[in-house]
Amino acid sequence: MRKGILEYCVLLIISKGEIYASDIIAELKKAKLLVVEGTLYPLLTRLKNNGLLSYNWVESTSGPPRKYYLLTAEGKEILNKLDITWMELSYAIETSKQTKS
Amino acid sequence: MKKTLNINIGNSIILIEEDAYEMLTGYLNEIKFHFSKNADHFEIVTDIENRIAEMFREMLLQQQKQVIGIDDVQLVIAQMGSVKDFENADEAEGGIYEETISGVKKLYRDTDDAYIAGVCSGLGHYANIEAKWFRLMFLVSFFFAGSGIVVYLIMWILIPRAATRSQRMYMKGEAVNLHGFIRNFEEELAGNQLISRSRGFFVELAEAVGRIVRTLGKTFFKVVAWLIIILGSCFFLAMLVGMAVFLGFSDANPNEYFPLNIVNDAYLSSMVFAFFVALAIPIIALVLFAIRVAFNSRAINRTVSFGLLVVWLGGVMLSIFYITKVASEFKEEAEFSQVRELKKYDAYTLTLDRSRFFSRADSVKYQINSDKYRGKVILNDMDDPYNLPRNVRLNIEKSENGLVTLTQNNSSHGKTFEAALSHAQNIHYDFSQQDSLLNFSPFLQLNRNTKWRDQEVTLTLKVPVGVKLILNEEMDLFSYSFDYWSCEDHGAPKAWVMTEEGLKCTKP
Repeated sequence: MRKGILEYCVLLIISKGEIYASDIIAELKKAKLLVVEGTLYPLLTRLKNNGLLSYNWVESTSGPPRKYYLLTAEGKEILNKLDITWMELSYAIETSKQTKS
Repeated sequence: MKKTLNINIGNSIILIEEDAYEMLTGYLNEIKFHFSKNADHFEIVTDIENRIAEMFREMLLQQQKQVIGIDDVQLVIAQMGSVKDFENADEAEGGIYEETISGVKKLYRDTDDAYIAGVCSGLGHYANIEAKWFRLMFLVSFFFAGSGIVVYLIMWILIPRAATRSQRMYMKGEAVNLHGFIRNFEEELAGNQLISRSRGFFVELAEAVGRIVRTLGKTFFKVVAWLIIILGSCFFLAMLVGMAVFLGFSDANPNEYFPLNIVNDAYLSSMVFAFFVALAIPIIALVLFAIRVAFNSRAINRTVSFGLLVVWLGGVMLSIFYITKVASEFKEEAEFSQVRELKKYDAYTLTLDRSRFFSRADSVKYQINSDKYRGKVILNDMDDPYNLPRNVRLNIEKSENGLVTLTQNNSSHGKTFEAALSHAQNIHYDFSQQDSLLNFSPFLQLNRNTKWRDQEVTLTLKVPVGVKLILNEEMDLFSYSFDYWSCEDHGAPKAWVMTEEGLKCTKP
């Protein structure tokens, strides 16, 4: 059911600006999408290797530097395409609901 | 009271209780195993470890404590998720995200995974079958009047090469998720069209031929290397077994045969061992080199190979030492002659007598006293170890004093003159006269366990002018001593006569 949605949401969250992995987790938890953190890391690595994400090392006040993720140009392009797909999907669902009632 | 450990996780030093440490290690190992199939496993696991370290630091800070306990680790694992949770997440991958990125599958040639032009691997991607099956199919079809070659060439020309990243992605379709996705699609397409134009069919053909030659060459070297490994190992094993057998039974027969019968018993064993080392180590080196070619890896390290070199040099030096020692046994030469007068007849018949006279040692050796041999003579005993090398010469000369004589000259080599003379004296040669019949033995005999020191017997038969000699056929064994074959008389015994000028052939 959630196929591909998680990737879409992660891209959406990152599109708002440079963000740290545990903050992404916090957002996903708020959206009740992610139950455990461990699944996020392979996903981020995959998106990064696909060229949609990149990251910067940012010094932190407590402990070693942290990875901050941001979207690349390709990432933005894909996100636009996903937006269109999502709108098409929701349009289809909305119209289905409306015609039913 | 609990034991605590200091661990370094995600570049942070954390103090942790022992049972908590056990649990954490188990958990991390599970995670490592789960992601080990993933190409990016190292990065993923590092990210997870970093996050765990961060959680630990937060816990220590918030609860104002020094040590991570088992409860903390359980909390972290619950938050991070178990391997089972990851598996569920893996199943949820794909969907609209993948569809948005991946295109429809198209047929291209995959030049990144090509033996010739990538036709087979392209077909493999298209049909979602491993490329090797198409390769096998084409290989088999080559044997049917080469029809596969034509088909292959046509496909080569017709199917375009997957040049751009997007083309490669189209070629692989959904089979490979997102790998190699278009980076600046238009830009790259423009760039690659230039390259595509410059790569004509013939450029590709030349490259393909080069690739085939390289592959064949590599295969050839590997086959040769394998042959060397197998043959070398067999040879080495045979030598090892041979030496073991020899050293185990050195008092048995083999040392009575040439060339082992040259070497003194005292150092025969060590000499054989030295030879073994000098010969076996190059074979080992050859096999090791072949292993390196075949497997692209060193079988032994430098120290061991250096050790082998030292041992080999030792073996070679020892071998040379023994060879010189044996050679010194041939330094001096000694000879002596014995003349015996034969009963006078007008004509003699010379025959070869293969039967042997037995010494006392022989009687023991062959158990002559037993019933088995009573009343028997051993004939044609060619298997006898004293056969080789046989050094008996026969000269036939004119007698000046009217007497018929046979001179037997024994000669031998030795370390000293005395030794050489003693060797010469120990030569036993059988000759007998039965009226006008002269029996010559084809070989000289040495005492048992006497070493070969180039012992020779030279016989000189002197007969007066006018005496006839009939040479039995087998006498051709001595044919190098005089011109035996000039008397062309096939089948019948050769008849000769002594003249003033020497031995002449007479037609009977």
